[in-house]
Amino acid sequence: MTLFTKDDCALCAQLKKQFDLSAMDVQVEVLGNNDAAALAHLAWHGLVEKARKSLPILVLDDSSALHEFDHIESRLLDRAAHYGVAAKGHGKQAGCASGSCALQ
Amino acid sequence: MGVVMPLNAETAQARTQRVINEDSTDIALFVRSSQDDMIGWNRQRIVEALLRETFVDRDTAEKISRDIEMTIQAGRVKTITGPLIREMVNAKLLEMGLEEARRMHTRLGVPLYDVDQLLVQHNKENANVPHGPEATNLTLAEGIKKEYALLQVFTPDVADAHLSGDLHLHDLGFIDRPYCSGQSLEYIKKFGLNLPHALSMAKPAKHAEVLLAHMVKFAASLQSHFAGAIGWDAINLFYAPYLEELSDEGVRQLAQMMIYEFSQQAVARGGQAIFSDVNIYWEVPKHFVDVPAIGPGGLYTGKTYGEYEKQAQRFAWALFEVYKEGDAAGRPFFFPKPLVHITEKFFKTDGHLDFLHHICEVASVKGNTYFVFDRGDTAKISECCRLSFKLEASDLEDAKQPWKMRYSALQNITINLPRLAFRAQGDDTRLFALLTEKIQLAAKAHGQKKKFIERLMSLGKGGPLSLLAMDLDGEPYLKLHRCSYLIGMVGLNELIRVHLGQELHDSDASIKFGLKVIAHMNIVCNKLAESLEMKFVLEQTPAESTAFRFAKLDLAHFSKKAEKVVQGNREKGEVYYSNSTLFNVGATMSPIARVEKEGLFHPLIEAGSITHLWLGEAQPDKEALASFVINVFKYTQNDQIAFSPEFTACLACGKTSRGLSETCPYCQSKDVDGITRITGYFTKISSWNKGKLGELHDRYRNVKRFNN
Ligand SMILES: [Zn+2]
Repeated sequence: MTLFTKDDCALCAQLKKQFDLSAMDVQVEVLGNNDAAALAHLAWHGLVEKARKSLPILVLDDSSALHEFDHIESRLLDRAAHYGVAAKGHGKQAGCASGSCALQ
Repeated sequence: MGVVMPLNAETAQARTQRVINEDSTDIALFVRSSQDDMIGWNRQRIVEALLRETFVDRDTAEKISRDIEMTIQAGRVKTITGPLIREMVNAKLLEMGLEEARRMHTRLGVPLYDVDQLLVQHNKENANVPHGPEATNLTLAEGIKKEYALLQVFTPDVADAHLSGDLHLHDLGFIDRPYCSGQSLEYIKKFGLNLPHALSMAKPAKHAEVLLAHMVKFAASLQSHFAGAIGWDAINLFYAPYLEELSDEGVRQLAQMMIYEFSQQAVARGGQAIFSDVNIYWEVPKHFVDVPAIGPGGLYTGKTYGEYEKQAQRFAWALFEVYKEGDAAGRPFFFPKPLVHITEKFFKTDGHLDFLHHICEVASVKGNTYFVFDRGDTAKISECCRLSFKLEASDLEDAKQPWKMRYSALQNITINLPRLAFRAQGDDTRLFALLTEKIQLAAKAHGQKKKFIERLMSLGKGGPLSLLAMDLDGEPYLKLHRCSYLIGMVGLNELIRVHLGQELHDSDASIKFGLKVIAHMNIVCNKLAESLEMKFVLEQTPAESTAFRFAKLDLAHFSKKAEKVVQGNREKGEVYYSNSTLFNVGATMSPIARVEKEGLFHPLIEAGSITHLWLGEAQPDKEALASFVINVFKYTQNDQIAFSPEFTACLACGKTSRGLSETCPYCQSKDVDGITRITGYFTKISSWNKGKLGELHDRYRNVKRFNN
């Protein structure tokens, strides 16, 4: 499972705060101007155009992808429970007032 | 210039002889000068030239001129040419270690032998250039401008990188022009044909045929100011307000005139065809729906473009009827290239399926159609070979006044990817460091061309780029601050083969590594764009000659390593690297797998990409192609596809047959020529360079897959 994020993305930050992703075996890819491998990984899943519209994106082990924040959050809650990892309470969606929750 | 052409050499020599005989008591030496005359020897001319053109001091200049005079006297020469004296001075400067002065004093020119060859042989660097007196004039001028560019516009590190084949600076012979231009017909609809230095000025057209005449002349003027493609946005829509008065037959006639006018320009111009692209939409693009339409006389019609959907569709349909028929001999038209945009809105527009079948039939029968996929809400315009732009906020603002919509890329530079892998010797870190270094060098070269064009543009309407400086709408035609700078790549497939020992189509691991290379290029371009405030974008280089040139140079300089990965037939010299990020053309992949996998790279290459599907002699039915196209739109990331059939044109009976054959099936003549796509356009195979011939031989034709 891979979560595609970006440093200045408020929604991504919220998920990282809410979940101990590494303990849940979720790979976090940080897109931006410094990581070609993360961008290549995104392209491999055919998600570059989608990421230009919105982030975060959660890619599941069967390579399907979730784009809606609520869907991502609920899938991560399931996984946290499955891994026995505590997750912080159901966060109020921070929204993305800055408009930066997307790959430029 | 002091070049003495072989054709007039004899008469000039005779004239020299006559001058000497008539005045045999005079021991004076005659110099054939650059001004088409013969003048007596005067050492001071050397001194003057050195002081004017270089920073050499007068004493040194005097000394050089005396030395040259002594050499010439010792040789008992009677006549000498200006160019020879200049080269003698250059040799002297070199001997004295005055390298910079020698550079500044360089003479640009062409050896006698080369000119002789050129006038007789066909230049195959660009298959688009016919052979003839006008074409050889262009080639000679290009040769000089290329030398000038490498000496004067670019710094030695950039020039060396080009000459050694690390990079390829495209169109050096057109150093004083930008690369390509995309525009809207609205400009001439609104302002008429009102070009600087024209002998007459034409008011905005009142009738469709007049508008067409304006468009063709404007395109020809633009082509002499740009090195590459001239593209037109939403052409069927912008013609629409002129079509209401026309019958279906009239619309069809207009479509025919447009295609013939553009496809026959090469003959008229003696040089290259107008490399023209017309962008076509079945729907009215969202950003034009509410825009007030301009009609006859350059006046607003009182309607918006949204109301012209039906007229626009009539024209689009008619254009493809003409493409389907082909020229008088049934051959496909080479230009203009029709690019049909497939969008979300396309599928919601009435009649789209019929139109899709119509353009798929053309794709199958003649191959002309380019399917451009604009997914999501992105509005795009395509212009150069593959260059397309996503419309940004400022562009969408311009869309309200479409005559303002014009886009240009200033230059195109391609990086030789396989060579990086030769040097990296399997080390990833070194590979990416080398790649960064080459992109930085390309960015530097772009800055140097930009500075040169800025200098020409600063001369304004009195300068050489007066057409681009015209400002009928308050801004120069060439909006320099909004130009793009293209960075392309050749041979990703061979880079992977050297670095990983596999080709792109061999495994997921190779594709993943390939994506990392292109992602790295994308990221470095973004970073450089931020720091240098220039818009660097990746492009799939058409590489008509570059793929051949890089392969040849690598065989010469990295022979042991290159021999293992260069594609084609080495014995025949038909060698090449795979274009840009394309997979091996000979890989036996299903068409949909090729489209899907090559398409993974497309979103990273922001200035546009394409996948070619070689049909060979197969002629799939339109329904099969249409469902293929729909699947590509829905399920892949691919940016653009084109299907390329092959034809044999008989020069004896004039008939055209399907597939490539050595003899004409109608009359059995062997006097035939093949026709298919070279890279981005159709052309005659007899004009192809050796690298492309090698590729043609290797192409995997999807004959069976499409005939099922
Ligand atoms: Zn024949």
